[in-house]
Amino acid sequence: MAKKKKHTNSLQQMRKQERRLGYIFASPWLLGLVIFGAFPILASFYLSFTSYNMVGVPRFIGTTNYQALFFNDNLFWKSLWNTLYHVFLSVPLGLIVGIMLALLLNSKIRGIGIYRTLFYLPNVVSIVAMSLLWLWLFQPNFGLINQVLSPFYNLLNMEPLGWYRDSNISKLTLVLMGLWTAGGSMIIYLAQMQDIPKDYYEAAQIDGANGLQQIIKITLPLMTPSIFFNFIMGIIVGFQVFTVAYIMTGGGPGRSTYYFGYYLFDKMIQDNNMGQASAMAWVLLVVTLVITLLALTLNKYVFYLGEQD
Amino acid sequence: MMKKLILLSLLLVAGFTLAACGEKEDIGDRTEINFWNISPVGSESYSGMRRIIRDFNESQDAYFVRSTGINFWDYWDRVNVAIASGNAPDVALHTIDNVVLRASNGALYNITELIEADIAAGRETIAVENYLENQLDVAAYDGNLYALPFSATTRVLYYNLDLFEEAGLSETDVPTTWSELHTVAKQLDDVSGNTINVLGFDPSFGEGTYKQFLWQSGLDYFDEDFNVTLDTPEHLEILEWMYDFNSEYSRSALDAFGEANEMLGINPFAAGNLGMMIASDGLYETLRPLGDSMRYGVAPIPLPDENGVRVNWGSGFSIEMYDNGDEARKQGAWEFMKYLMTYEVQQDMAEVLGWLMSSIPAMTDYAEGNPILEAFIEELNYAVDKVYVPYAPNWHAVDWDQYFEEGLRGAMTAEEVLQAAISNYIQKRENYEAAN
Repeated sequence: MAKKKKHTNSLQQMRKQERRLGYIFASPWLLGLVIFGAFPILASFYLSFTSYNMVGVPRFIGTTNYQALFFNDNLFWKSLWNTLYHVFLSVPLGLIVGIMLALLLNSKIRGIGIYRTLFYLPNVVSIVAMSLLWLWLFQPNFGLINQVLSPFYNLLNMEPLGWYRDSNISKLTLVLMGLWTAGGSMIIYLAQMQDIPKDYYEAAQIDGANGLQQIIKITLPLMTPSIFFNFIMGIIVGFQVFTVAYIMTGGGPGRSTYYFGYYLFDKMIQDNNMGQASAMAWVLLVVTLVITLLALTLNKYVFYLGEQD
Repeated sequence: MMKKLILLSLLLVAGFTLAACGEKEDIGDRTEINFWNISPVGSESYSGMRRIIRDFNESQDAYFVRSTGINFWDYWDRVNVAIASGNAPDVALHTIDNVVLRASNGALYNITELIEADIAAGRETIAVENYLENQLDVAAYDGNLYALPFSATTRVLYYNLDLFEEAGLSETDVPTTWSELHTVAKQLDDVSGNTINVLGFDPSFGEGTYKQFLWQSGLDYFDEDFNVTLDTPEHLEILEWMYDFNSEYSRSALDAFGEANEMLGINPFAAGNLGMMIASDGLYETLRPLGDSMRYGVAPIPLPDENGVRVNWGSGFSIEMYDNGDEARKQGAWEFMKYLMTYEVQQDMAEVLGWLMSSIPAMTDYAEGNPILEAFIEELNYAVDKVYVPYAPNWHAVDWDQYFEEGLRGAMTAEEVLQAAISNYIQKRENYEAAN
């Protein structure tokens, strides 16, 4: 009995020691989370209720910043609308292009590794360099895209598209440019595609299913977890759009690409208005959260292969 | 064996590098002063700036200045965050047109008090009469100086003499009024089909701004109480003049002309594609390496045909001392600041940084024999800095440019541009006043 008790004590001691070691090993990350994550988040929440010009002392003003944004700031609504437009356009298009690329590159042809690398490469290019490159390509007067399209313009007797210089299609232009990085989600789709058991396809072939039917009935349903993942991540990343507009359009023309993140940046950097910038950050968080939660309701349509066993 | 050798070499290199990074000069019991500037390692001005600081350190028993050079594009965020977090350097460069923001929030030491203390103690001090009154005005808050002007620049009209001669013009034809400007510009234009090869002038190119043309007409964006004053027929007329200057060409042709140069990183004037352009002395620095391959001159910006006011948009960096609550560092920072503002160091700085510095006596002698710089020094007498508007610190840039460009594109009329800008300023003011 005494021996058993002694054994239990030493086990408990060992567990306690392990727990302590666990915390010690995890402490750099935990400290990082608290100092660089939790503290700025809480600080920005407080600052959103203050008047703070980044030089003086924050002064509590209640909900004035939120009231100003909601009821007396045209650019707030304009930038929010621009951002929602961007998200609703870029997320589905990104999914479609990513899936199509993955389907194309999920074949066993010679040099497939090179093709996959080529499609993934834009993801390692600096977003600034990428924006400058596409600025050249989309340039309305001498850009390569309009040069290539000029026969169509002549055929249809239309003016060349203004791309990022035309407020009607400037947001679409930036979305199209963003599709260049669809190789990032493609890798995730490819990984999941390669996990799909081959015998499903063999069985389908025996039953007479053609290639398209196999994609619709087998590949896409079994890819829903990665599609869903990219969908949620796309929404979150989409709401943070800023750099491309900052580099390519400066928020124009006519504020058509003045996104929420851009306006938040201007509030803080140009207007020294940290209070309203913080309030905007919290509004963005709530909007992103609500739309992400709505998107999460689609989880019931996701087919998790492991859960069926 | 080879692998081990390579690994060992790498470790040694890394070790030496880290040791070098960690090396800190022994300053004994001298008080350390931190000075932030825009001359980082690798920049053209780095060694010159280092030499100037070393000279100060070698002359000192009490203070030692440690320099931190930061890339221009990162500098402003870094220095503003440092000020906001209470970790500001002792001395740093900043923008002179928003000194009021930092002074009114207690971030800066009162320079007037320091000068007066020097005078009372019979010490050498800053001679404020050496600086432009306009710059001193924007560096003041509540009747006291809270910064000193460090550099000073303004805008002039550059003209390309080669293009003038090709068009049968000479230096005597350099325009002095807006109508002359238009006439000469049209003589310089060289257009084939929808392609502009040479453009005489465009009021929106280079550093041509609406505020410049307003000021020359005795108008402004705001009155003394920061009320918006853009809604007059005179304001509208000037904006329409800017928009209509090259109205015979399509916007796409003008955009193509502007962007073709901009995207190649070439200044259209330096490329010999623009006959005349409003720009600062920065363009002179760009043109200097071209030597005699391009003949050009500078002149005062043409004035309105009637009742024109000779005035130019002026700007510059300030040098400021941040209140860190340490008396020894404050005195050291002040000694260093006085050293930077001496006649010799100002001339040295002009050479090192390629800027026109703020000391007028130093710059007048520095520019002697150089007609371009002499013209700039002359124009500095007519320079006016942007006023700091608390509710819209960027009234001249972010808050205005978007609307102005809409007018350029033809998406808004000049009247709509002004109305949209007015609404925006009013809304900003209402929100600012509600929060402050």
